[in-house]
Amino acid sequence: MTDLIWIVPLLPFIGFLINGIGRNILGKPLIGIIGSGVVFVSFLLSCCLFSHVYDARQAGGDGAFTVPIFEWISAGKLSVGLSFMLDPLSSIMLLIVTGIGFLIHVYSIGYMSHDPGFGKFFSYLNLFIFFMLLLVLGSNYIVMFIGWEGVGLCSYLLIGFWYKNEAYAGAAKKAFVMNRIGDLGFLIAVFLIFTTFGSFEFSSIFPQAAGRVSGDGTLLLITLLLFVAATGKSAQIPLFTWLPDAMAGPTPVSALIHAATMVTAGIYMIARSNILFTLAPVTLQIVAGIGIATALLAAAIALTQNDIKKVLAYSTVSQLGYMFLGLGVGAFTGAFFHVLTHAFFKALLFLGAGSVIHAMSDEQDMRSMGGLKKKLPITYITMLIGTIAISGIPPLSGFFSKDEILAHAFVQNKVLWVLGFIGALFTAFYMFRMLFLTFFGEFRGSKEQAHHLHESPGSMTFPLIVLAILAAFGGLLNIPAALGGGEWLAHYLEPVFAASTAKTGEFHLEHGTEYALMAASGIAAIIMAIWAYGTYVSKKTVPVADGAERSLLSRLSYHKFYIDEIYDALIVRPLNKLSVFLYKVIDRAGIDGLVNGLGRTAEESGKGIRLLQSGNVGFYIFMMVVGVIALLVYGLIKI
Amino acid sequence: MSAIITLSLLAVLLLYLGLFKAKKALLPVSLLGLLAAIVLYSIQWDTDAEPLYSGMVLFDHFAVAFSILSLFITGLVFLLSRDYFDSISEHVAEYYALIIFSLTGALLVVSFHNLAMLFIGIEIMSVALYILVGIRKRDFSSNEAALKYFLMGAFSTGFLLFGITLIYGATGSFDLTEIKNYLIANPHSISPLFYSGILLLIIGLSFKVGAAPFHFWTPDVYEGAPILITTFMSTVVKTAAFAGFLRLFLTCFVPLQDFWAPVLLVITVLTLFIGNISALAQQSFKRMLAYSSISHAGYMLFGILSIGAASAGAIFVYSAAYSIASVVAFAVLILVKRSRGSEHFEAFNGLAAKNPYLAFTLSVAMLSLAGIPLTAGFVGKFMMFSGVLANYHIVLLLLAVLNAAMGIYYYFRVIVAMYFRPADREEVTVNANYKAVLFIGALLTIAIGIFPSLLAGWL
Amino acid sequence: MTQAEAVNTSANYLPILFQLIVAGGFGVGTIIITHLIGPKVKTENKLGSFESGIEVIGNARQPFSIKYFMVAILFVLFDIEVIFMYPWAVNFRQFGLSGLLEMFIFMALLLLGFIYVIKKRALEWD
Repeated sequence: MTDLIWIVPLLPFIGFLINGIGRNILGKPLIGIIGSGVVFVSFLLSCCLFSHVYDARQAGGDGAFTVPIFEWISAGKLSVGLSFMLDPLSSIMLLIVTGIGFLIHVYSIGYMSHDPGFGKFFSYLNLFIFFMLLLVLGSNYIVMFIGWEGVGLCSYLLIGFWYKNEAYAGAAKKAFVMNRIGDLGFLIAVFLIFTTFGSFEFSSIFPQAAGRVSGDGTLLLITLLLFVAATGKSAQIPLFTWLPDAMAGPTPVSALIHAATMVTAGIYMIARSNILFTLAPVTLQIVAGIGIATALLAAAIALTQNDIKKVLAYSTVSQLGYMFLGLGVGAFTGAFFHVLTHAFFKALLFLGAGSVIHAMSDEQDMRSMGGLKKKLPITYITMLIGTIAISGIPPLSGFFSKDEILAHAFVQNKVLWVLGFIGALFTAFYMFRMLFLTFFGEFRGSKEQAHHLHESPGSMTFPLIVLAILAAFGGLLNIPAALGGGEWLAHYLEPVFAASTAKTGEFHLEHGTEYALMAASGIAAIIMAIWAYGTYVSKKTVPVADGAERSLLSRLSYHKFYIDEIYDALIVRPLNKLSVFLYKVIDRAGIDGLVNGLGRTAEESGKGIRLLQSGNVGFYIFMMVVGVIALLVYGLIKI
Repeated sequence: MSAIITLSLLAVLLLYLGLFKAKKALLPVSLLGLLAAIVLYSIQWDTDAEPLYSGMVLFDHFAVAFSILSLFITGLVFLLSRDYFDSISEHVAEYYALIIFSLTGALLVVSFHNLAMLFIGIEIMSVALYILVGIRKRDFSSNEAALKYFLMGAFSTGFLLFGITLIYGATGSFDLTEIKNYLIANPHSISPLFYSGILLLIIGLSFKVGAAPFHFWTPDVYEGAPILITTFMSTVVKTAAFAGFLRLFLTCFVPLQDFWAPVLLVITVLTLFIGNISALAQQSFKRMLAYSSISHAGYMLFGILSIGAASAGAIFVYSAAYSIASVVAFAVLILVKRSRGSEHFEAFNGLAAKNPYLAFTLSVAMLSLAGIPLTAGFVGKFMMFSGVLANYHIVLLLLAVLNAAMGIYYYFRVIVAMYFRPADREEVTVNANYKAVLFIGALLTIAIGIFPSLLAGWL
Repeated sequence: MTQAEAVNTSANYLPILFQLIVAGGFGVGTIIITHLIGPKVKTENKLGSFESGIEVIGNARQPFSIKYFMVAILFVLFDIEVIFMYPWAVNFRQFGLSGLLEMFIFMALLLLGFIYVIKKRALEWD
């Protein structure tokens, strides 16, 4: 069974090839069928693989299978193979990637039906799925890195999909550059891992690492670098500003790449390397700190955004912050559980937002919406479910996963819990604000838009319904013991985190305390929802126009705490200046100026070309002689 | 050796074909000659390699592998030259003959076993190049490039020769084995002449490979020379020079690594930064490639810096990946320049819409040069970097990775221009030879990227 | 080993370093000093090129006949090649038949070059 694992990533790749080559030949229906069909078959296979792992777990094994495909590089002691690893962690990720991927492919058939780049879009989506599967399935850091780079590339291509818009192309570039900073960390970490452990394979690295003492310096460096990589890919402080801009891409892309799958790659990678992080407590503290800071900052920004996709984007950044908080406090299962539920409800919310935007003829500003619940009933109900889920109101999925993270935070550090709790309040408020502004009250858009309002076609509502069901019941996967649940997910994932658990000991919290925490967060979320209802439905408040006066806090939040501006002033502009300086002084003035430029002007002013020639080569040879003298002086000292 | 003789005769034959106005026969005859040489080399692969002609040359696996690579890349360059050369000069036969002469020199450089042969090989290679660079007789920039190249090349050859002389003075021999034995026999009383000789050899060879601060000729010469000559120089000549560099240091100077490694380290870092930072600011694609070739020289120097058993394989794979990608890049540049008359990045705007095939192959080449996984360039960089790490130069690795990131920025500029910048343009016509070269280049780049053992197993 | 033989350190080369510095310093110093203290006249005539008082016409980069060069270079080329024959002739007997053949090949190659030169009409004067 596991021998067939290579088919899973291969299918989307074939889809990419067919759609990429035949994008102008095949008709739109065929492209849509091929594009989503290959992902669907992958999904079916993933289900089989999952049941295989599941059976192995039931039988008491650790459910991990390594399937070598072929030897890739073999030179000396260096040996890298393309091999896949199937274990509880990757089997669930497989289901998320292919399952949600499939739904979003189906959705795209309707959403992109009027776009001339239909074929190109599907080929990119398929390519993305391929790389994401490589990332998830890789049994060593090199394959993971290839997937990591690949999804970054696809994300870049898809953000800039409507590249004719200058701002969108800029957003793509920004995403790419920020991701590259992270990738740099990844690459260096991988090489460090190789020098330390002599292998790239997970199965060889982790047991070796488990033998090391906690607080090992090398591990600290490695984990810090890996975390840098994760901050880039998963949009954490300080590299998070690309994600809101990435909303420039088509909405299905936002749902698939920038909410459900790619951005969680950082969490997946850390969860995969959990033993390394457990042995580097300093890094874990940093991870938790950055996570909670990001969660709060992004939530605060989301409070005042008026673009429906921006709200969701900042909400994603904030939720990712929660996942990192979970990793930082050692709640690996909790963090991964949140990845799972978040994939359900955030994909749902994005697709719902896409449906709204589709109905509103590409309007994204919530100030022009309102009262849509009658016109878009399915979208409304599904988005309501998503909103309740993300706000952490029981018994929908978000409640359970967020609660588990917060419970771990509570045990570890009360301050973290308080901050996380505040963030959860923000979340409930801005999500319901979004829901009420969009679907309640009077319609505030133009007449033309009102005329066009319609529920989306079946290919778009079907994924919404499926995702709504998942978002509603996903929490059942891991009901805490305090509520009499079986903690199915935690047991299933146990072998993946076994080494870490052995180091840190079992997590323990009084049931009484746990009930109190759950009640507090549940009730608080409901109160925030009611408050939002009071503000935006009863009082019919509509956010002020762009130019209007705001209070200081509101202004800070609305302008995203001026983070982009700060980066621009601190990093981008100095770098640009340096680059221009180098260009002008070193290249222009130094080489070209002194030599060619001087020569060109000399030629033009009729002073003869010979002057240029001699001056030119003379300068070069002068520089060479300087080098020669430096070398000989070195020799003189050294001999 | 029979291959080198064949090629020398081939060059003379080509000159005569030119005399008797058999222009049509030039390309097929040259290609056949190259093919014959490749076959002659392949036959030699499994035989026991002994130094030939009183220890002048040695055709071991190292020499044969690099020779076949050089021959193959020259073949690609020839395929591209069908229409190209007729349009810039009437001396087509001389052009083919000179390239073959230069190639012969390159083959000697990769298989020398005696410092005299190293010098002769480099000279045969360079003298033919001086003429090739200036072969557009009425073009000022071509003339200027040739003169600059010649003056500076002559200057640096002086250092090389002086270095060889000093080594001879210390050891009493030009033979690589003798020099190695001298080091083994006198580990503690090595003559100062020997040390100075190594330094001067580094200077001379650094010039030939275009490493900073001896790189100043590279951008100007690459820009001034006809594009195909630039292609030949930045691929075959550079590969051969590196192979010679490595062969000398690998065979002889390993015991003195502590002495020369710091020098080479400084040169490597300088080369990387100068190449990459200057490339960032370029507006012209051709000049960008020139600076990027400097930075690639920096990466290849890693192979010599972390000298060891794996160095030869790493440099071989790297230079193969780099050469193939460069040929593709220059081929597309020729086509674009022919249709737009410009070498700037803007000239590539919107290419993907009209010529998807060109745009795709160029993208593959750029990805490979940038070292993105699943391309040959990644495998090359990977082998190079892991060699560096094996010697625990972690700081060096950090610098290299930083530079690799810079590289990605400027390589992607052209991809962005092709795919994301709309422009009104006409379709570029591509003849069958170009199509074939682009196809082979892209295919090999991806194939090596996926199955590195195709090449990595050679050495 | 005696004391005298063992001294082969870089300190022995110090005088050479001093000589290098003095030689280089003198050259550089002279250039700088003349540049600093020399009179500077920057009139138009001073900066223009000197053509015996006549105004400059056209570009100095005019093509001129290279036939002298061609003949001179070809002469040097063949002349140098012939020098190889002297050592060969001295050792003619020792080389035997293979030596004779090698010289034939060498001469044949020279001859090929010569035919090429003639065919290219490099020696025609008009």
